[in-house]
Amino acid sequence: MPALSQVFGGPRRSPGMRWSLLAAVLILSVIASSTAASAIHTKQGNGTTPHTDPKTNGTITHTKKAFPVLSVNYDYVRMPFEISLWILLASLMKLGFHLVPRLSGVVPESCLLIVVGLLVGGLIKLMGEHPPVLDSKLFFLCLLPPIILDAGYFLPIRPFTENVGTILMFAVVGTLWNAFFMGLMLYGVCQAEGGQLGEVPLLSCLIFGSIVSAVDPVAVLAVFEEIHINELLHILVFGESLLNDAVTVVLYHLFEEFANEGVVTVADAFLGVICFLVVSLGGILVGAIYGVLGAFTSRFTSHTRVIEPLFVFLYSYMAYLSAEVFHLSGIMALIACGVVMRPYVEANISHKSYTTIKYFLKMWSSVSETLIFIFLGVSTVAGQHVWNWTFIITTIFLCLISRVLGVVGLTSVINRFRIVKLTSKDQFIVAYGGLRGAIAFSLVYLLPEDHFPMKNMFLTAIITVVFFTVFVQGMTIRPLVELLAVKKKKETKHSINEEIHIQFLDHLLTGIEDVCGHYGHHHWKDKLSRFNKAYVKKWLIGGERSMEPQLISFYHKMELKQALMMLESGGPTPNVSMQNIQPRRTVQERLIPRLSRGREEEIRNILRANLQHTRQRLRSYSRHTLFDDPLEEEEEDLSEAQMRKKRVEMHRRMSHYLTVPAKPPTSPPIRRVRFESENQVFGSTPGSTASSRFQVSVVPSIQLTRAPIAHMEQMSQDSVSLVDESSSSQQQDKQQQQQQQGGQQDSETGGVSTSTGSSLGAELSASEREQDHLRLPRCFSDPGPNKIDEEEEEEEGDRFGS
Amino acid sequence: MGSRASSLLREEDIEEIKKETGFSHSQITRLYSRFHSLDKGENGALSREDFQRIPELAINPLGDRIINAFFPEGEDQVNFRGFMRTLAHFRPVEDNEKNKDPDAGEPLNSRNNKLLFAFRLYDLDRDDKISRDELLQVLRMMVGVNISDEQLGSIADRTIQEADANGDMCISFSEFIKALEKVDVEQKMSIRFLH
Repeated sequence: MPALSQVFGGPRRSPGMRWSLLAAVLILSVIASSTAASAIHTKQGNGTTPHTDPKTNGTITHTKKAFPVLSVNYDYVRMPFEISLWILLASLMKLGFHLVPRLSGVVPESCLLIVVGLLVGGLIKLMGEHPPVLDSKLFFLCLLPPIILDAGYFLPIRPFTENVGTILMFAVVGTLWNAFFMGLMLYGVCQAEGGQLGEVPLLSCLIFGSIVSAVDPVAVLAVFEEIHINELLHILVFGESLLNDAVTVVLYHLFEEFANEGVVTVADAFLGVICFLVVSLGGILVGAIYGVLGAFTSRFTSHTRVIEPLFVFLYSYMAYLSAEVFHLSGIMALIACGVVMRPYVEANISHKSYTTIKYFLKMWSSVSETLIFIFLGVSTVAGQHVWNWTFIITTIFLCLISRVLGVVGLTSVINRFRIVKLTSKDQFIVAYGGLRGAIAFSLVYLLPEDHFPMKNMFLTAIITVVFFTVFVQGMTIRPLVELLAVKKKKETKHSINEEIHIQFLDHLLTGIEDVCGHYGHHHWKDKLSRFNKAYVKKWLIGGERSMEPQLISFYHKMELKQALMMLESGGPTPNVSMQNIQPRRTVQERLIPRLSRGREEEIRNILRANLQHTRQRLRSYSRHTLFDDPLEEEEEDLSEAQMRKKRVEMHRRMSHYLTVPAKPPTSPPIRRVRFESENQVFGSTPGSTASSRFQVSVVPSIQLTRAPIAHMEQMSQDSVSLVDESSSSQQQDKQQQQQQQGGQQDSETGGVSTSTGSSLGAELSASEREQDHLRLPRCFSDPGPNKIDEEEEEEEGDRFGS
Repeated sequence: MGSRASSLLREEDIEEIKKETGFSHSQITRLYSRFHSLDKGENGALSREDFQRIPELAINPLGDRIINAFFPEGEDQVNFRGFMRTLAHFRPVEDNEKNKDPDAGEPLNSRNNKLLFAFRLYDLDRDDKISRDELLQVLRMMVGVNISDEQLGSIADRTIQEADANGDMCISFSEFIKALEKVDVEQKMSIRFLH
């Protein structure tokens, strides 16, 4: 994407160029999708399918035909092909919008996508085909969960729990008010109007009211994300849109059942309330159970890091599906699962898995959202519409009015209990931000035709409402926010200061509450976190992390982030008080001694010979091994690193020449490899930089090169034996070292050149080996066979030598 | 018991406390009964032991410091006025208060005073600076015993580095305010009960 913008986004390019590019992308994708759609219908009985029945086969063989060099078999791949094509279309659209920055600044993406959907639908219809309508099953089972999971997993917990009372009020009471107000008023209007509308029964109106009154999370996310409003308002509207799912589900099923029966009693209404409690609490319970399971599983994934993200996704999706089985609220289950799972999973998984999860969730939710809006547009063109001016205009009006009344009324009640009151500006934004979206549309689509003869009218009405809210409200909310000077989201980089002080204040407030004898918000939060620490963390977080206080893990994360930033920018940032992680660049600084060409040749030959042996002893390549970089180990060994921080500086300078292992050759897990090799380098040497002392200390230590990597051992031993021809010992321990020292001293007089030569060679070989260490993990990224033929080795050797 | 408690508190006292702290009449009486229930010695003042008898405060990492905050400098007893004065810091901020009395000075529950209260809990020696040692002490209390001194030291260094604007390796009150400028202190440091 950045490359693309570089190519297309340069100021030299005229806006005309960009528009034409966008148009080209649009046309191409439309053509592609329409061919797919047409292909659906024309190729149905065509082609040589793999399941040709023997009859036709038999007939074919009677006449000798030419062997088909090229044949078309579209049916075979029809389904996945179409799906991929749609997703491709959606992604190309997203890409296209960002090519034209001015457009995306004015019009929210959701509007553009709906327009695209309309165009695509129109084109398909022009071609005479039947455009696909948004299949409800597809929507609820495939398109909606990623968005909700993304929202739930990254839900900011603190603001959510602080405002949970307000959010619940809006979600439950607000939606109920909206539903009944709209339903009753619509019924009244229908009766008053008479004629065709007069036939609409009360229950149909009520069910329509309940469907259309629910604020839609997808639309809210799509619009609010672009306006960067302050956290409080965002969480209020967004939280409401998530939690009102339970209400919508209950009302929907309730009214549907009533429509079947035709008679409503008080007992039924009472059961409805019970149902609501069951649906919401049951959904949360299901989600929490799966969340705990997911957290527990993640405790054991330290050896199979590759599939860690998969567990998160699977457990969450299962939670959603399980809740849907019992007609519980799937959305609440999904959110509960994400919220419960997250702190424990993040303590257990590797940094890479965390990044993977984050990016996959964002990717899926982005694609889903795009698809939903495009399909909305297409479905608009596809559906049979019954346009009834009165009904539709009334619906829109009532939506707005009931929303405003609901918000204002509820706020006046809520403000009595809130510490930070909601101002009228806030109320306006909350009311205006109540967007309707695809969920409402799908729910209407699911209505059975026989009980609801006015279904098409409802469909038209709901589409109009959705269009109205997304286009009108979505487009105007941004300038309104500017106009009203609503507080925007502060660019927070959560500093360690804030973290410490916030925790401090939490403790302080809990203490004061205890003094007052008041069991308030802080008291329960404190109790929960104590329970968490004492019992839950032990079970769900593996290893030592379970004992780690929140402050420490926060600090680690910060240091890690900073180190990553440092790496990427290539230079030191001023704020790091401790250098846990050195940028790779400094590794490149080496003291390379000057060598004569003859010497170089000699060394090259030695290396080449060495490397042959090395290759054969490498680990077998496995697709599933994750190769480490120092960063991953860093976070594991951070506490150990801090012990050795004083030696880290020295490390960096002399890392290539000294590879003294301090521990006996165990087979440490792969993860620990690199770091330990660097750590152990200077166990014994003090910070001497003078080259003379350098060399002396170098020589004996090099001969010890027992690399911690189990297999590399052999290699280093071999190289040692080859390099140091004078030595005769083959043992691994200090004996060797001492012997070497002895040997060295003996031969000291016998040719300074040889000793320096060998020491230099040793240095270089050690440096090469170090480079080997550095390089080999990267080499593993291409699949290499175990046995390496001559040719490759020559190249390797050459590369190393030069 | 209830009537006896309220009879010990005279109307003039209530009025004075109301003016000083901004609490309402009902709140003052409610808190007075709490004060009375804590006061086992029944001498109209609370000592440190009375506070330490509160069970949750014993397990609070900042328990001792909170208790100390109630007692004015060098004294061992706190009367009801002092009790209320300390608690007044945690009253929620009201918007209409700003217009009430511009001459009365800053109310006790203003943002500034709340932050000053928190600052004083860090800064034990009252030199208006949080030194590295003081920060380390607080960190140690909050974090527990499992973490090495070195690690805590580096966290403390990092914290001071982030906040320190004038390079004196200490956090002054203004730097403290600046570090917390993005935090909604009015909400964080308020207890709804006291509204």
